Amino acid sequence: MTLKVYGHRLSQPSRAIIIFCKVNGIDFEEVTIDFTTGKHRLPDFKEINPMAEVPAIVHGDLKLFESHAILCYLASAFPGVPDHWYPADIVSRAKIQSILDWHHSNLRRGALNYCINSALGPVRSLPLNPQAAIEDEKILSASLSKLESVWLKGDAKFLLGNFQPSVADLSLACEIMQLEVVDEKDRERILRPHPKILEWIDNVKSATSPHFEEVHEHLQEVKARIAFLKSA
Amino acid sequence: MTLKVYADRMSQPSRAIIIFCKVNGIDFEEVRIDLVKRQHRSPEFIEINPMGQVPAIVDGRYKLFESHAILSYLSCAFPGVPDHWYPADLFTRAKIQSILDWHHSNLRRGTATFVLNRALGPALGLPLNPQAANEAEKILRASLSKIESLWLKGNAKFLLGNFRPSIADLSLVCEIMQLEVVDEKDRDRILGPHPKILQWIDNVKSATSPHFEEVHGILYKVKARLLGRLTSAKPNDTSLSMKPNPKL
Repeated sequence: MTLKVYGHRLSQPSRAIIIFCKVNGIDFEEVTIDFTTGKHRLPDFKEINPMAEVPAIVHGDLKLFESHAILCYLASAFPGVPDHWYPADIVSRAKIQSILDWHHSNLRRGALNYCINSALGPVRSLPLNPQAAIEDEKILSASLSKLESVWLKGDAKFLLGNFQPSVADLSLACEIMQLEVVDEKDRERILRPHPKILEWIDNVKSATSPHFEEVHEHLQEVKARIAFLKSA
Repeated sequence: MTLKVYADRMSQPSRAIIIFCKVNGIDFEEVRIDLVKRQHRSPEFIEINPMGQVPAIVDGRYKLFESHAILSYLSCAFPGVPDHWYPADLFTRAKIQSILDWHHSNLRRGTATFVLNRALGPALGLPLNPQAANEAEKILRASLSKIESLWLKGNAKFLLGNFRPSIADLSLVCEIMQLEVVDEKDRDRILGPHPKILQWIDNVKSATSPHFEEVHGILYKVKARLLGRLTSAKPNDTSLSMKPNPKL
């Protein structure tokens, strides 16, 4: 059964899935859906995901969307995936699920909207909205503080004090990486108060090397495009 | 050690967990955390859930928050729970997970924001915001359409065409029930175009009877209070107040 991953490396959750597959040696075909030019709304892709969003996967008869559901499915469906990604123990698993659930309305909401409203808008044919970005930054900063105080206590290498990463580490770290595309002084302002977060991202990067850096290279291209659009 | 469920029945995800436990005969103690009295911000409750939100559970020494994580955990931790709630089959489980994930930024976001800004805000010390309510209503209505077209196709009794409910059915239906507290004409305008949704809510209600109606009883009291028709307010009869901290 071939696995097809429909995604785009500008999409944080798409990156998480691509990196997960590469790290775990899961054979897959990466199909890029350029949502910046509306390709996600074409009938062919809506057949795959009626929500018209990336990422989505097709695995045999299964079509699946929502990156957390996809990550948990892949971790369970491919026997070679080490247990630390999505532990079989129901208590450990539930704690990871709790982080994944919290993410949607907190870190994801803050980071996604902040990046779009302060920098990415034009790349996605959306207007910048500095006023909204101020509100988004509050949610983002509050989320980073919560992450540190609740899940990266003491010398924690990964979330929950785990010694190896889970799907929650990968999902959330990919989200924060999106800040690479915003103005450097903004990124500094947001991340500087959170040295634990920076260290944790480095830990995730090392644990998934070289794939993490390779998949995130696309953000440098996007950054260049933003600069070009600004000067035009 | 008995499972403790920290909840406020005004909270949609709290209701889902309480109903789930009752339907499945899971022994638990319901500890009421009164959102209006801001008990969710008390130091004792922050010990339980550092996010200061309901619902949360304590199972022995183990604490957990986020209702979907709680529902999946309870399905797995209590052996008597029938498989249809959270199937062991990977494909089916993944599809249910997908709905639960989608819910946060769509139905939940639309419904909760709409109800807060249209009706419930003042009870929680927040102003009503008609503009925010209008924006939220768009998300809510789009979500209801998506649910019908994607997951309630044909004669589907429950989401994904399943013959019995899953935790996704329970979570999403409890969310939509929050519309009981808004003005009837708003509710009719929003739900009227969605007969399948109304049928599905009835199916979930029947499958979890009598607990669904019993747990949702609070909404009708709140609605009446909001409309000023209730002459004597009664506390929630079946909940337990949070025990005072003996150290204070």
